[in-house]
Amino acid sequence: MFSSIRIAMILVLLTAAGGAFLYVKNLQKNLEIAQANVAKMEVALETSEASNKLLQDEAIKNAELNKQLTEDLQKAEKYGDELRATLQKHNLTHLANKKPGLIEKRMQNATNKLWDDLESITDPNANDRVQSTDSGTADKNSN
Amino acid sequence: MLTTGCSLLTPEPQIKIVTNTVKTTVPIVAHPKQVQLNDVKIYVVSKENYEEFVKEFEAKNGADAYIAISVKDYENLSLNFAELRRYIEQQKQIIVYYEEAVKPDTKQEKKE
Repeated sequence: MFSSIRIAMILVLLTAAGGAFLYVKNLQKNLEIAQANVAKMEVALETSEASNKLLQDEAIKNAELNKQLTEDLQKAEKYGDELRATLQKHNLTHLANKKPGLIEKRMQNATNKLWDDLESITDPNANDRVQSTDSGTADKNSN
Repeated sequence: MLTTGCSLLTPEPQIKIVTNTVKTTVPIVAHPKQVQLNDVKIYVVSKENYEEFVKEFEAKNGADAYIAISVKDYENLSLNFAELRRYIEQQKQIIVYYEEAVKPDTKQEKKE
């Protein structure tokens, strides 16, 4: 009777020891996986930070490009604005009546310059950034 | 052991990270060839030089037929050309903007 109780207790102890051993083994395995996960998450975090940096750089680049575009679009208005101002400033009919030869020469020069400018701004080999050509309205009675 | 026993059945989930970077490459096409414009001769005629103009014009062109335009219409024509010029320039600037935007970043590529 006593020996069978001892055997039973030993069996219980052995089972408990086996269970504990399996539990610890499983814990160790999970710990390894958790460590690997942490490493992967660190890499993921770095990738995420790099992506954020890339997005920020892109945003800065786009903002600069937008600013440049706005400035360039404004510059393109210059020729028309100056021409309108010149035409308002001078009475071309009066000048043409009084000094047709002089006005003719100026108109011819301004027209030739406009053709040259148009050829220049459509030149694909010219500098990519559209050059701010002289307004072409320096001539007081130009077109 | 009894309280944590169930954890033996559920293993630690593994994290799978899949990084996939997709970058579209837009080829930049060649620009159209530049415009080739012909010269245009302008005559400004008033009472002052009308006779002289007719003589000169006939001598040069062999006829006395011409297309006349009033000063006001000439101004309008000039303003129309200015508008076309503005449009061409702005259109070109927008194209340059897009080309710059889609151009691959050389600094970034060097790092990679």
